[in-house]
Amino acid sequence: MIFTDVIFFVFLAIVFSTYWLLRGKEARLNLLLGASVVFYGWWDWRFLGLIGFVILISWLVAGFAAKRAPGGALRRLALIVGISANLAVIATFKYFGFFADSAREMLSTIGLDPGWTALNILLPVGISFYVFQAISYIVDVARGDLAPESRLRRVALYIAFFPQLVAGPIVRAASFFPQMERVKSFSSTLVFAGLRAFALGFAYKAGIADNLAQFVDPVFGDAQVAGDTDLAAWSNLALVSATLAFGALIYFDFAGYSLMAIGVARWFGFYIPKNFDHPYASPAIDDFWRRWHISLSSWLRDYLYIPLGGNRLSAGKTYRNLMVTMVLGGLWHGAAWTFVAWGAMHGAALAFHRAVFKGRAAIGVLYGLIATQVFVLLTWVPFRAESFADTLVIWSAFTGLRNGGSAEISTWVWLLVPLIALDAMLGKGGLKALKTSRILRQPVFYWAGLGVLSGIMLALYPLEASPFVYFQF
Amino acid sequence: MHWSFFAVAALGLLLAHGLRLPRAGSRVLSASAFIAGLLTTAFLIKSLAAANGIGRTTDFDRFVNAAVAEVSQDYAPIIVFTGASYSRNGIDPERLTLALRERGYPHRVVSLSIEAASILERDQHLQQFIELSGKVPDLVFVEVAEDFDHRAAYMFGNSKFSMRAIEQFDLAASAWTGFGILGGACQGLKGCVLDAGYLGLHTALNVLNVGLIGSGERSASVTAVPAYDPQSEPREDSEHTLSLTSAPASIYQGPQWVRSFRYQQQNRLLAQGARAIAYYQPPTLDPDARAYIDGLCEGELFAFDCFSPNDPKLMARLNGDYWFDSSHLLDGGTAIYNLWLVEEIIASGMLERSQ
Repeated sequence: MIFTDVIFFVFLAIVFSTYWLLRGKEARLNLLLGASVVFYGWWDWRFLGLIGFVILISWLVAGFAAKRAPGGALRRLALIVGISANLAVIATFKYFGFFADSAREMLSTIGLDPGWTALNILLPVGISFYVFQAISYIVDVARGDLAPESRLRRVALYIAFFPQLVAGPIVRAASFFPQMERVKSFSSTLVFAGLRAFALGFAYKAGIADNLAQFVDPVFGDAQVAGDTDLAAWSNLALVSATLAFGALIYFDFAGYSLMAIGVARWFGFYIPKNFDHPYASPAIDDFWRRWHISLSSWLRDYLYIPLGGNRLSAGKTYRNLMVTMVLGGLWHGAAWTFVAWGAMHGAALAFHRAVFKGRAAIGVLYGLIATQVFVLLTWVPFRAESFADTLVIWSAFTGLRNGGSAEISTWVWLLVPLIALDAMLGKGGLKALKTSRILRQPVFYWAGLGVLSGIMLALYPLEASPFVYFQF
Repeated sequence: MHWSFFAVAALGLLLAHGLRLPRAGSRVLSASAFIAGLLTTAFLIKSLAAANGIGRTTDFDRFVNAAVAEVSQDYAPIIVFTGASYSRNGIDPERLTLALRERGYPHRVVSLSIEAASILERDQHLQQFIELSGKVPDLVFVEVAEDFDHRAAYMFGNSKFSMRAIEQFDLAASAWTGFGILGGACQGLKGCVLDAGYLGLHTALNVLNVGLIGSGERSASVTAVPAYDPQSEPREDSEHTLSLTSAPASIYQGPQWVRSFRYQQQNRLLAQGARAIAYYQPPTLDPDARAYIDGLCEGELFAFDCFSPNDPKLMARLNGDYWFDSSHLLDGGTAIYNLWLVEEIIASGMLERSQ
């Protein structure tokens, strides 16, 4: 069940109407927990046990840690056990095959045959997101930043809240727990605020992103099927165009999902902070990371970069911390060396930017924008390509030095550049007349506009919907 | 994909970003405004798509383009066969063209046939062929089959909510299909209710252009693929025996809805410049199905050239490993049937009459 499926709208209508018909906070929260179980189980009920384990261990460990003396060995031990248990889950289901394969390849290069065969473990959807939320809860409680929650069902709802369960945004415990205790009342403001986020997210995802797969998949191959690419057949322009299309696809797909999650959560009276802030308008790489997948980058900053020492130590250690954080951030996205390389390149770019510019936009906004976005575009290649060999082929297409094939993709794809620019301009307060117009708040104009938007979205709606790109992470 | 996708997407972003909390107002007025906005947009998008030749791409478009390519290189009189899977497996245009030319007839045969295509869907693509090629066929051969005549919404037995299913139920096709369902061209009360429900949904999806811009393409730019799909091996699990017995000869009229449709199709095609319309059905092992076309040829279609496969000589020749399954031919069977058909067409004199 994904947000653009017809079945999701049926599910949402049932949960939404029941939620607001129920009286009392506990009944509503219990309904949301039940709905979250159904939502997750719809994908594969067998993994309910896994998320149940993550919830249970996080609740137990946080409760245990909170009762020990701050700074004491037992509290530290509980913290280590809690984080390790969560990381063990993600390591087993997401990284075991990757590390086993890598070790086997390494041993075989020195003539040793370890004799083990690759295990093909099914990746539970959303595991990277809910494990990070669980770790956030344990750490916040162990640090004393958050009171432990004695009710297991509260922790369960925090980790499994269905709007953001499978692809984020990664919500912080300190932000979510107080919202559960607040008594919510139904209002049209809440409905329209949710609709606004959901409609924009739907436009991003179903209107734009899903229709871009036709440019990307034929060139890069099916992301789920290894070895199905034939890059030699494609012209240099086709490879560059497909990379551009992928850059647009991943943004509209993920930002769209995040906005829909924010909208759905809003309909239940919950506030989830924004996850994207027009990253393709960033004039510097550090700015890009303040705008791209904000909930992950801030999580990595708060739970990895700063604990490693952040920028409080020597310059060399700061660069090391940036590299470690971004490499692990890359690995978070997928169990492949190409993701590690992607993270390392971004870590190196952040370190370079820090070393050279020291926070100043030394080359001007326009040049900075071009340099940053070209770098981001180039680094999407290893992120999406199936191998380093494919990455090198596509990069060589950017130089024009490659003898390309003759297969082309539509050059209309370059219209994505003004489309992204328009989106950034609208999102960053452009067209103030549109935003402040009183006419648009007149009910007739609002509803007519919503009708026009619905007509457009139906025409753009892909008859074969694509799963969210970030589900695989 | 077409540039219009980006234009429509840009307008969508503009509106989505512009949504602001509305003031309270009359519910009736708000609902009316919403519906007016939705329907106006649907109309404008449909007009934009029509003006640019954009449609939801299906295999039928590929077959049409292949047929257009064939006739664009050949100035001979055109014969179009339009049918469903029986014809997709059982009509080989190259073989028919060659056989006709060997016998002194210059005609070029093309096939517009696809699985589960109703007479309505086939007619849409016949018109598409005429528009894209700029040529009106001299002869149009329309496949007739009992199962299509007696289930107006035959598509829903095979595919629902697919591009092809949504694309074919425009207002005109939906009206004809609705006429058929109301007349009982459906399977039992439950089947009729289901078909009517699906028809309503598909018509709404078509009218509201669902997927038209996102998944659509310019029909003319779709890769051409010939319709003929020769089969060399029988279908797995297919067991069949030839039956030369036929149901008692009867004179049939098709159901009212399809009779009416055929009547208006005949008039329209003749008005467009077609010289003759004929009816046929590729052979099937089901004697009742053969008897149906036999009865139609003697009844409703009496005034037209009508080629029933219920010929014992033909069926005797097809007694062997010529069957993909009980109603579709292997390539070897198609060769036999197509030669028989050419002889029958020539013997009917319609090629001379239509010149």
